[in-house]
Amino acid sequence: MIELEDITKVYRTGSQALEALRNVSVRIGRGEFVSVMGPSGSGKSTLMNIIGCLDTPTAGTYLLDGDKVAGLSFDELAAVRNRKIGFVFQNFNLLPYATAWENVELPMLFDGKNGKARRQRVTELLNAVGLFDWREHRPSELSGGQQQRISLARALANDPPILLADEPTGNLDSKSGEEIMAILTELWRGGRTIVMVTHNDHIAAHSERIIRLFDGQVQD
Amino acid sequence: MNLTLPRFFWSEYRKRRKRTSLITFALFWGTLSILLLMAFGQGMTTQFRVAFSGLGETLIMVYGGQTSLPYEGLPKGRQISLFPEDVDYLKDRIPEILRIAPESYGYLPVSAEGKEINRTVHGTTAEFGLMRTQVPQLGGRFINPDDVTEGRKVAFIGWKVATDLFGSADAVGRTIVVNRVPFTVVGVLQKKIQDSMYQGPDADQIYLPFHAFRQLDNRRRINQIHIQPREASQSLLIESRVKTLLGRKYRFDPADRYATSFWNTIEDAKEGQAIFKGIEIFLGIIGALTLLIGAVGVTNLMYAAAKERTKEIGVKLAIGARRRTIVGQFFLETVFVFAKGTFWGFVAAFNIVHLIRLAPINYESFGIEAYLLRPEFSLRIFVAYVAVLSVLCFLSGIFPALRASRANPIESLRYE
Repeated sequence: MIELEDITKVYRTGSQALEALRNVSVRIGRGEFVSVMGPSGSGKSTLMNIIGCLDTPTAGTYLLDGDKVAGLSFDELAAVRNRKIGFVFQNFNLLPYATAWENVELPMLFDGKNGKARRQRVTELLNAVGLFDWREHRPSELSGGQQQRISLARALANDPPILLADEPTGNLDSKSGEEIMAILTELWRGGRTIVMVTHNDHIAAHSERIIRLFDGQVQD
Repeated sequence: MNLTLPRFFWSEYRKRRKRTSLITFALFWGTLSILLLMAFGQGMTTQFRVAFSGLGETLIMVYGGQTSLPYEGLPKGRQISLFPEDVDYLKDRIPEILRIAPESYGYLPVSAEGKEINRTVHGTTAEFGLMRTQVPQLGGRFINPDDVTEGRKVAFIGWKVATDLFGSADAVGRTIVVNRVPFTVVGVLQKKIQDSMYQGPDADQIYLPFHAFRQLDNRRRINQIHIQPREASQSLLIESRVKTLLGRKYRFDPADRYATSFWNTIEDAKEGQAIFKGIEIFLGIIGALTLLIGAVGVTNLMYAAAKERTKEIGVKLAIGARRRTIVGQFFLETVFVFAKGTFWGFVAAFNIVHLIRLAPINYESFGIEAYLLRPEFSLRIFVAYVAVLSVLCFLSGIFPALRASRANPIESLRYE
């Protein structure tokens, strides 16, 4: 499903070059639940950005579902992010002006889905995360846990096979964090591939496998 | 076309629109300025034409003169006069003439119902009325061909003459005495604005059938001949033919500039219209510059929004927005901002123009207000305005939108 081969990512700022990832090779199979761990600056976010098609590697090949990602244009990458990948961020990244409903609906709008299909799916997702009654509220009127559940619903809008979660519980109290982990575990059991960045061993324990990064390299 | 995204953009815009109120005002003001200035410009041009047509549209007046060149053994300094038979002489020989009329006049005593005044009294034919915009008030008429051939004692009088002699009473059917000869009033001139004249405004004139007038004034020669060409573009051609024909008849050099003289209103009107057209364009440019200030405000606002909303753009890109979606949103928001401001500006301008047009014009003393109080809208103004607006809207929207769409999703997501 996700195959990274000898991935290197170099950031250049003026004359300085920073190697964020060095010859990283990772394979994540369909339906796996994988945690990515490592200290700050170890390249976790860079790896996630590359897997999430938000960034492209400097060298190496990335095959997503057997297709090369390297040659895709900006808009083709956008389409991949829209349909194949759902993002859950540490700080939720909901649109502040939009209601819960609108936030969940947005990926489907970008995909051009019709009104009936959207209404059906948003209703289903908001019910699934238990926030249908909060659909007209804006993010600022919701608790952190509620916001993260909305963000999860949004990530699932186009029913992507892959979920990328960047410290999904990092800004939540332990109870809300457990709720989110319960939903993620449920989704994984339903057959979805989940890749999660975390600092927390307890949270990582929910996953099947842990990839540890240090100084831009995978530690065996 | 899928209207779902524009609808979402609209709902996002509505939540932010408070921020746009000052800019909306600038656009409102710009629209008001450009439309009012153009409406006043066009109104002035129209009023100029109306005032000019008070004398007569597409009219050439021919006068006699004095030769300044010797010709065929004759000395210079000879008087050249026009005579009634010249009218048919010219009409028979110049096919481009549509209408032609002789005119003689004299300053004569006129009395009615115990009042006596002195006015310029004219003798002419029915065609004069058509050429010189002599429109009668309801219930009256101008001199007709039978009046002329039968030498009827009838008169067509200016509205001021009617007031001077009869007050507010209806003058038609009443008798006026011109130089001790009674005439029946058959029509009173309708009020009109007139900026060009000889012998004073038509409001003060009295017109009699040509032959009837000649019984009061026994000169053989006439004062002038009025000619209307079939096509306005033929006016200079007609002038030169008249010179040639009269030169042959009265034996003067057709190139002699002083033997006859012409008042060619067609050429005058062209000049006047060019001046007013210039003023109109100038006013339009000032208006467009005012609107430009509003447009710069919008650009500034959208640039600020593009920066302020970096994170939002990042989120949208992360969940699958394409570049054109981001460009589209910023562009549409620009259109929304423009639409709001300009709509109200349009409504205000339309109403102001309408209100100003309600103001009455004083026909007795035709002044500057006659030009200023009749602003008008036209399709041309609307098209010009929409063109300027579209260009400004496009330019103000496109650069911020492109900037927003060039955002890097990762950096945008990190932006706080």
